[in-house]
Amino acid sequence: MAKTKLNHQQLHAFSSITSGFAAALLLITLIALVIFISIRGSAYFWPMTIYQVDFTDTFKKQTSTYQISAWDKEELLANLNSRVQSQFVNQQTEAPYFRINISQDVFQVILKDGKVKLGKLVSLNSPNGVSNNFKDFEAVQENVKLLLSSLETIQFEQMAPLHERLSQYDKNQVAEDAPARLRVLDAFFLAQEKSNDLQIELEKYFILFEDAQKHQFRIDIRDIEAVYQPNEMEIFAELEYMLERIVQFLGDSPKQAATSGGVFPALFGTVMMVLIMAVLVAPLGIMAAIYLHEYAPETAFTSFIRISVSNMAGVPSVVYGVFGLGFFVYVVGGTIDSLFYTDSLPSPTFGAPGLFWAALTMALLTLPVVIVSTEEGLRRVPGGLRAGAYALGATKWETVTKTVVPIASPGMITGLILAIARAAGEVAPLILVGAVKFAPSLPVDGEFPFLHLERQFMHLGVFIYDGAFHNQTNTQGSAMMFASCLLLLIIVFVLNLFAIVVRNKLRNRYTR
Amino acid sequence: MLKLFESEIQDIDLLKDDELAVDIKNLSIKLNGKKVLKDISMRIPRHMTTAMIGQSGCGKTTLLNSLNRMNELNQHYSFSGEVWIEGRNVYSKKENVARLRTKVGMVFQRPNPFPMSIYENVCFGLKIQGMSERRKLDDAVEKALRNAALWTEVKDRLFDSALTLSGGQQQRLMIARALALEPEILLLDEPTSALDPLTTLHIEELINDLKKRCTIIIVTHNMQQAARVSDYAAFLHQGELIEYSDSDSLFTMPAKKQTEDYITGRYG
Repeated sequence: MAKTKLNHQQLHAFSSITSGFAAALLLITLIALVIFISIRGSAYFWPMTIYQVDFTDTFKKQTSTYQISAWDKEELLANLNSRVQSQFVNQQTEAPYFRINISQDVFQVILKDGKVKLGKLVSLNSPNGVSNNFKDFEAVQENVKLLLSSLETIQFEQMAPLHERLSQYDKNQVAEDAPARLRVLDAFFLAQEKSNDLQIELEKYFILFEDAQKHQFRIDIRDIEAVYQPNEMEIFAELEYMLERIVQFLGDSPKQAATSGGVFPALFGTVMMVLIMAVLVAPLGIMAAIYLHEYAPETAFTSFIRISVSNMAGVPSVVYGVFGLGFFVYVVGGTIDSLFYTDSLPSPTFGAPGLFWAALTMALLTLPVVIVSTEEGLRRVPGGLRAGAYALGATKWETVTKTVVPIASPGMITGLILAIARAAGEVAPLILVGAVKFAPSLPVDGEFPFLHLERQFMHLGVFIYDGAFHNQTNTQGSAMMFASCLLLLIIVFVLNLFAIVVRNKLRNRYTR
Repeated sequence: MLKLFESEIQDIDLLKDDELAVDIKNLSIKLNGKKVLKDISMRIPRHMTTAMIGQSGCGKTTLLNSLNRMNELNQHYSFSGEVWIEGRNVYSKKENVARLRTKVGMVFQRPNPFPMSIYENVCFGLKIQGMSERRKLDDAVEKALRNAALWTEVKDRLFDSALTLSGGQQQRLMIARALALEPEILLLDEPTSALDPLTTLHIEELINDLKKRCTIIIVTHNMQQAARVSDYAAFLHQGELIEYSDSDSLFTMPAKKQTEDYITGRYG
């Protein structure tokens, strides 16, 4: 007779197997996520092979040739087929035919505006003569760099101050033929002449390029960021290329509708926003937790506050965004504008989404995290320690500041870093209160007051959200989104790791 | 010789007011709505060791805590009565509680060193009192550690964490910490209950030495210990002071039946 009910041992085995399975599944999912993002993300930095694609249109009986860069031949073929088939699906004809080969002697020219040109080098032209050898390129580029820097010097250090002086004369209504004015004008024209000469000189440096359709065109060397030969790269050259692309990714602005270039403004905006948020949330959260745990009597009111804090942690983040927009931006910001920035109304200064409101909204959003983990830290302080401090004549304030807070500091730091990690990865509320897909200027610059809290800013999470939608069809663009994801993942991981290290260090310091 | 010894330990009722360290008058305390001490009056002589004995929950610790107002850390607490220490009623509104606690030091059942260095632990109270001159602090720390018989053991590792000390050393550090403030009265709340017999002996010897410096009031569960270290002893039972006299009489010929039963181990 078979038993229908499991006995105790079977139950134990069953529960341990299922929970072990769940844990394993979780770990595998996490690892798979990290591996997937890492592979897709790091591809952005890896040189793409340039393929020559011969496309035979069987309907029109024509063959045309293109050069396309891709990481993988199969993927390229699939991509091309899917694109072409959608055009031919209603025509009862034979499918087009592709032939893909690796191109020979082909160059990849990355322009300063982010565009990429593929093709063969016909000639390298400079005032010193014409060359067919690409090895001379670096020397020529050096020359161009020198010319460009002297041009910049003339424009910014000579022409700009003179121009400013002239506009000052205009303002003060100095006569057209005043000798001082004429002297300045002469100097200005002299500088302008020099700059024009330099421009003409610069135009003598260019390369002639030939694309797959045998069209020749010129590219000014001053517009070139870098030139590579990806099909001829050795492993060291590939690594060097990768390093250069990583530096560009971290230090450059996004170009060509966020499909190339870098993410520096987004990274900078994220860091700035998170820092301001930390400055706002740390004192507020820590003091609230100290009040709740050390000072407040156990009444219905304090338990109501505790319940509210836990509930705050569960409010959907977009609701915070709406609150931030409705209250901080329109009400508080609008009031600030009507009180202090009446000159520039009706165009808003603080009454529009901006960096400070985003930081404030995120501070509100992460406040529960800080309060809960600070209270957790305070709860870990043994009661005997407080009694010990009181027995030595310490007042409540001295007891809290000299014994309780140092011991609870690991909890506080942990809470703060978790809050920072949360804010770094948040998107929905930020879209409403100040993060934009492209900001013309950074929130910090050389202009007084240096930190512009009212400016809109770029944020890595928002950047990914925006780019992921618009770059589905573009291999290079989606690779950039994966690279940004990887960067965000690394930032959050590093922050969490930092939190753990700091917590352990402080914990060791204060408990044996 | 015997006469001299007897004259040192006077009968409680013969004590003059100026020989008292603490004078408790009709003290009643309620904790969480429960009456823990009921109308206690006690005269505790200066520079003597007074032991409080009794069952768990009889109010010994509450009585001890009431002397430096540590009970007030409990939120649900009410009291009536007076406690006079050195001519001041410590429960008067004008009393500075923090200052009172520097004069009435306390050592707890379990050692509770701060997670700082040994040195920092000893000068914690002094720094709070505003002493900041390094040399003065050094001297005070050395003196306190010597008085707590810990100096020779820790003098080479003053800046190690106090948590690296053994349990007995930690408890002596707690005594040193309290002594650094040069208190008039030292309250010991079962100071040896978490320690092994040999360390207990150390602490008991220390208590005998400390008597010269301050008045000691000790709560203990250990009858032998109470008999060994104390000059006077009080027996409490369910919040009431049953018997209070010099230790010799209390432990050899108790006046009350309850005391005798407790001492001989018939209950409790």
